[in-house]
Amino acid sequence: MHELSIACEIFEQVMATAKEHGATEVKHVTLQMGRLSHTNPEQLSFCFKVLSEESIAENADFIVEMIPPSLECECGYTGTVDEEKIRENCEFKSELLAYAAVMECPICGKPAQITGGRELIIKSIEIETEDQN
Amino acid sequence: MLMHVIDMGHDVYKANDKVAEKNKKKLDKYQVFSVNVMGAIGSGKTTLIEEVIRQLKDKYKIAVIAGDVIAEMDSSRFRKLDVPTIPVNTGKECHLDAKLVEKALDEIDLNNTDLLLIENVGNLICPVDFKLGEHLRVVIVSVTEGDDIILKHPMIFKTSNLAVINKVDIAHAVDVDAEKMRDDILSLNPNVPVILTSKHDWESLETWISFIELGVKKSQNR
Repeated sequence: MHELSIACEIFEQVMATAKEHGATEVKHVTLQMGRLSHTNPEQLSFCFKVLSEESIAENADFIVEMIPPSLECECGYTGTVDEEKIRENCEFKSELLAYAAVMECPICGKPAQITGGRELIIKSIEIETEDQN
Repeated sequence: MLMHVIDMGHDVYKANDKVAEKNKKKLDKYQVFSVNVMGAIGSGKTTLIEEVIRQLKDKYKIAVIAGDVIAEMDSSRFRKLDVPTIPVNTGKECHLDAKLVEKALDEIDLNNTDLLLIENVGNLICPVDFKLGEHLRVVIVSVTEGDDIILKHPMIFKTSNLAVINKVDIAHAVDVDAEKMRDDILSLNPNVPVILTSKHDWESLETWISFIELGVKKSQNR
């Protein structure tokens, strides 16, 4: 359960940026989350909601965009995992396991290096400011 | 009212990685070999660290960072072996992070340290996402966790440089096939060295300890 500490970090960053830009309200918070990170989007969203109570981000929509893992192979291939192929091949329901078990290069079939898919990025926020006129 | 979209691009994990890089540079500067020992509660992390300390403390200067929700218990076990030990209480948190280690490093005499053993908080999930600045990431799993434990927690095995299957002497009693566990680890991470250990089998402990010693020697020759 480390969603709370991560939500704290997100909340602090969002509030700092919002204040810097003179926000009166935060409308949207958009995150990008790698599918291989051990963070649960629903729990994270819940923690953020609790933290933002009685703040200008209280009613913000918390949007999480999932990012597929990316690979790099010694044969020179770089790209993302073929999600369709994993769904066909995987008997397990856990998406994380599916990704982890089939990290082969789609070109040469050798085990590939994971180069992305574990990130947790605060992509952008949408804020409201006072009309300057 | 005016609406604005502000691009932030702030990666929460990268922020930790940056501090971890800083820790690693600091450890490199002092030629300290550091080991992040991860594993579930009761997998034998503390016991296997104690064995390393007992066997290597006359040859090398060792320090320990003991991370736990309440870190004093394990810390006192390490202190009994006469090595400097920094307890790091994580409170409600389930993992050590680079900032906590950065703070702990300030309390360690790195000039007088060859090997830094970092015991992470006991679980197979949260420590994965947080690099500490370590040179070696070890995951310890015991047969008592069941032989399906590895495929349930793939990322920790994929991201470790050494995997230890512990308590193999009681595998039969808990109806577990240690070889299946080894195969599962290798299916996730084909190049990772896997060691089978039991605290009652000296030879197996020797393999574990010599792996750590090899790292210390390499650090000193850099």
